[in-house]
Amino acid sequence: MKMKKPLALLLAVGLTLGLAACGSGNNSQGGSQTPAGGSETGGGASTGAVELSLWSFNIGGFTDAAAWDSIVAAFNEANPDITVTVTPINYQDGDQKLTTAISSNNAPDIIFEGPERIVGNYAREGLMVDLGDLWSASGSDIAEGISSVSQLDGTYYMYPLSVAAHCMAINYEAFEAAGALQYLDETTRTWTTDNFVKAMEAVRDAIDAGTIDITVPGIIYCGAQGGDQGTRALVNNLYSDYYVNEDGTSYLANSENNVKALTLLQDMVNNKSMSANASFAAADELQAFANQTAAVTFCWNYSNYTQYAEQTQFTPFAMAFPSDDGVPELEMAGPYGFGIFNNGDEAKIEAAKKFVDFVCNDQAAGTDAVKVTGFFPVHSDWGDVYADAEDADVRAPFALMSDYLGRYYALTGGWTEQRALWWPMLAEIMTTGADVQTAADNFVQQANANIG
Amino acid sequence: MAQNTAAAPAQQKPKKEKRSQFSGMSKALVRRETISAYLFLLPSLVFFVSFVVVPMFICVIYSFMEYGLGGIKGFAGLDNYIKLFQDSIFHRGFLNTVLIVVVAVPTVTAFSLWVSSAIYKMHSVPRSFFRCVFYLPVVTGSVAITVVWKWILHPYYGLLNQLVGTDGFDWLGTSSTAIWFIILILFTTSIGQPIVLYVAALGNVDQSLVEAAQVDGATKLQVFWKIKWPQIMPTTLYVLVITTINSFQCFALIQLLTKGGPLNSTMTIMYQVYDTAYRLNDLGYANAIGVILAIIIAIFSAIQFKVVKTD
Repeated sequence: MKMKKPLALLLAVGLTLGLAACGSGNNSQGGSQTPAGGSETGGGASTGAVELSLWSFNIGGFTDAAAWDSIVAAFNEANPDITVTVTPINYQDGDQKLTTAISSNNAPDIIFEGPERIVGNYAREGLMVDLGDLWSASGSDIAEGISSVSQLDGTYYMYPLSVAAHCMAINYEAFEAAGALQYLDETTRTWTTDNFVKAMEAVRDAIDAGTIDITVPGIIYCGAQGGDQGTRALVNNLYSDYYVNEDGTSYLANSENNVKALTLLQDMVNNKSMSANASFAAADELQAFANQTAAVTFCWNYSNYTQYAEQTQFTPFAMAFPSDDGVPELEMAGPYGFGIFNNGDEAKIEAAKKFVDFVCNDQAAGTDAVKVTGFFPVHSDWGDVYADAEDADVRAPFALMSDYLGRYYALTGGWTEQRALWWPMLAEIMTTGADVQTAADNFVQQANANIG
Repeated sequence: MAQNTAAAPAQQKPKKEKRSQFSGMSKALVRRETISAYLFLLPSLVFFVSFVVVPMFICVIYSFMEYGLGGIKGFAGLDNYIKLFQDSIFHRGFLNTVLIVVVAVPTVTAFSLWVSSAIYKMHSVPRSFFRCVFYLPVVTGSVAITVVWKWILHPYYGLLNQLVGTDGFDWLGTSSTAIWFIILILFTTSIGQPIVLYVAALGNVDQSLVEAAQVDGATKLQVFWKIKWPQIMPTTLYVLVITTINSFQCFALIQLLTKGGPLNSTMTIMYQVYDTAYRLNDLGYANAIGVILAIIIAIFSAIQFKVVKTD
């Protein structure tokens, strides 16, 4: 009976404090680890058979794990001793799954994603394998811009497969009915800032007149960080500025031109040629575009085109972001490729490199993989992989957008932290009418605090 | 004095009864039964210790570490806790969490009791019907519920805007309204279990006492307050504690509806734990926030135990 009180106390304290453990318990089994993995699926170097785990983000058609089947099967023809198990993850909870796996020493062997995570997050934490040998052997024809973002402090941690440019899109029929097509160059798919403003006002007037069955001309989404590349590119292009300065030492949201751009957008929201929603993330805005609630989307690429193709009862016309000089600079979608987690098992690392080499450098397998992503190969000597595709005409505009690729910012210090600040700043400016310069100054001050 | 003398043996009586529980049993038998009892407890105890107590202590230890994706980088001392008290987002999250608890807990408890009082005397068919109706949001799942609420609150084609005539108003995108809708949705998902519990508790109230009070001329309010309320007090305490913990842990609704926005107006401590751990990968700081959250919940629970005194 004497046990009763202490036991009851232990249970009571445990139940309440256990909540905290539940809140973050998933991270609490890790401890310090130099190697990231230690995956239990390891086949073991001693037997010669190796089992690899590949975690693939939902890039293009790789949303479905079955899309990897033919690629893995082709790899196994040449490497029968290596088994690759694919786990699809998505951008909604992929980070959570990866953090949990890494902190509990169960990181996958290979990850398929872009430099933001592979280089910016994981390589920076010392979790990734040096892929310099792959680059030395086969990376000579890969563009400098892609090469530079695949490395950290001179070491390559990512090997790329495909790349594209993020762009925006308009509802062609709605613009046509509103008389707004005159403001854009349909051949180069570009427009100036002035013409963008005129076009959006024309759409607004057409909505008001009942000429088109659209609810709002466009939506500045600022409810979450997903798809923030769209709003970044919109702001940066309007008056031809950048998100980060050239040497990566400061964010530039409070520069004269960016403040001018934010002020213009705020004015457009006020005169209803644009709308802003602090409860909308990119997915909500895309859905609004697809069901003709909005006439434009700021988050477009081939992957999104295929995802929403069945829903759209109109022509989604891909466009570059408007800029004052008509010369846009678009953000990279990707480059998407592979990173290998350092799980401390040399056999697995070698096997993983073989797999990455096969998928990215074997032209037949690589072309298939690139087509699944819906983007374009990083190997310049592979040519137009979609030349014979049935939907070559649909893909052509996205290929054109690659000509407008600009700087890659996502490896700037404090990138992850600043992403959490960007959309609240937009919400503050667009939905509460806050002073633009003050809000942008606050953003830059907080973002620069983590730039390192 | 005489009364005191007479009362003394009566007070000792239960103790005697307690001892008599094992009377006639040999010490060996008592020991064997005690061991059996602990053996039966062992599986759940092992599970509890492994998955709650141990992680709990690890959580406390990590809260003093500089701990990121690459593992533990060093001992942080109280840095994570100092940072926490200087963090304006945490301050906002704390206030929002307290607001949710202070509004949701009494409302859920009072509403559940009111509904239960109305339905517990009904015939079994309508009573079951109402219990099902109110319990439905509990079993439906957060995702399905938030999808429905997102549709209701959608700024462009939402039901609410059409009913109220506020075309385009962004209920979840406006700081002054978002938190109240979170509380409202939390309310709808929280009342199911208390109603079921209260219906059962009210059904178990000793009817002879109720009838005796009515014969003595007690009003309905007096019957409820003097007879029923004391008897359902243990249920009330349970409802209060569980609703408080659920309110403190409000996470899924925020993750699915607002992501803590707009402008941190729906940020809660629980959501900040998640956001700090899984998006910012600052695991040491996330653990520190988790520890503080646990302490706050423990304090609230202790106050409730103290205020609602019950056996």
